[in-house]
Amino acid sequence: MMLSSVRLLQLALPLVKNHGFTRDALARSVMALPLSEAHTEPLSETSVSALFGSGDSSRRNLIKAWLDDGIRYMDTMPPGSSVNEVLRARLEYNEPVLQFLPEAFALLASPQSGLPPLDLRPALQHASTIADKACRITGDKSLQLAWYTRRMSLATIYSVSELHQLTSPDTAYTFLETLLHSSVSFKSSLNEVDLFSSYIVKSWRGIINSYGIL
Amino acid sequence: MNDATSFGVHRLWKDTFVSSLKPGKKGPKRCIDVAGGTGDIAIRILDSARENYADRETSVEVVDINGQMLKEGFRRFKKTMYHNTPQISFHEANAQALPTDKFMDDTYDLYTIAFGIRNCTSIPAVLKEAHRVLKPGGTFACLEFSRVNNPLLGTLYDQYSFSVIPLLGTILAGDRDSYQYLVESIRKFPPQPEFAQMIREAGFTTGRDIDGGAWSNLWGGIACVHTGVKI
Repeated sequence: MMLSSVRLLQLALPLVKNHGFTRDALARSVMALPLSEAHTEPLSETSVSALFGSGDSSRRNLIKAWLDDGIRYMDTMPPGSSVNEVLRARLEYNEPVLQFLPEAFALLASPQSGLPPLDLRPALQHASTIADKACRITGDKSLQLAWYTRRMSLATIYSVSELHQLTSPDTAYTFLETLLHSSVSFKSSLNEVDLFSSYIVKSWRGIINSYGIL
Repeated sequence: MNDATSFGVHRLWKDTFVSSLKPGKKGPKRCIDVAGGTGDIAIRILDSARENYADRETSVEVVDINGQMLKEGFRRFKKTMYHNTPQISFHEANAQALPTDKFMDDTYDLYTIAFGIRNCTSIPAVLKEAHRVLKPGGTFACLEFSRVNNPLLGTLYDQYSFSVIPLLGTILAGDRDSYQYLVESIRKFPPQPEFAQMIREAGFTTGRDIDGGAWSNLWGGIACVHTGVKI
């Protein structure tokens, strides 16, 4: 059977917890093949470059494959799970490789061509993809502007929780719950403000009508 | 003549080709350079391994169907420190049917072919032989003229190829036909995705079908480095 580099990339993912997001993990992917096909030695530098890209491009490809796998991991959550459960599961997915994540995110944020000095697009894409997936799994039915605000708020909550997890893994889940709870309170406060404002507008409209201006 | 028609750029491409392969970075490699009679690639491989990684054990077996080219390469290597060492050897053989007694299965770590595969009558036969002689985990690397995808650069390149190169052939080498053939053979060579598919059909594993994946374009695709790995 003809092997694809995508399959080797998948085989490299379980190796990340021991070897980090490195070319070494990619080189060892062939040793994780089924016994009949497995190599006894890792791939050479030349072969790793040929299959996954030269230099840090290969590491970026490994990180992207790991992030995509994280999204697929979220799909294993049963339907009807709460947002808290889904985002918590995604944070749990980080745990085995937590020590390697700061460097991985730093690499993604480093521009390939030198400019701009910091490329935030991968981080934004990472958070927004997770937020969108969480909304889909939980059956979010927001429409129009609420569709965007819901995803933006979840993306922010997840990003902040993930950053917290990098420094204090033990309290990350409590922190996530607190943020979600605060966002619900904040949303209900906003709804109340909105309702109260609509009453004020209606009363002013009534007053103006009673003066015969409109 | 090559220098005149390409303004010496073919040397830069060969440098890029070899430096991208990083021969000797993780220990000595046994390499085979096919259609490499003049030793252009072989000398770069040995120099790169020695200068960058202090590697004097990497070896290159140069193979060419043309004995005259091999003689030229041999003569050139006599001026270098590699002459009469196990690091270099020259063999006359057909890339489409390498003698199995001399070029055994699963032998080499790196197979290179630069500006040669285009001139072979059966590209799949060359690829099959490359797959046979490479060790599992070995790399196939091919430098070849390819397809320019940028329309503006493509037009300029076509104009130059069909007007200037045959003219230079007439003036400098007195041989217009050979240089007309050169230009036409470049156009007939399969474009990048098609050649990558041929490499896969020979049994190699490649990166994705994008520039920087299964192939790396040089100068917008005028030349291209294709790679594949025998898994």
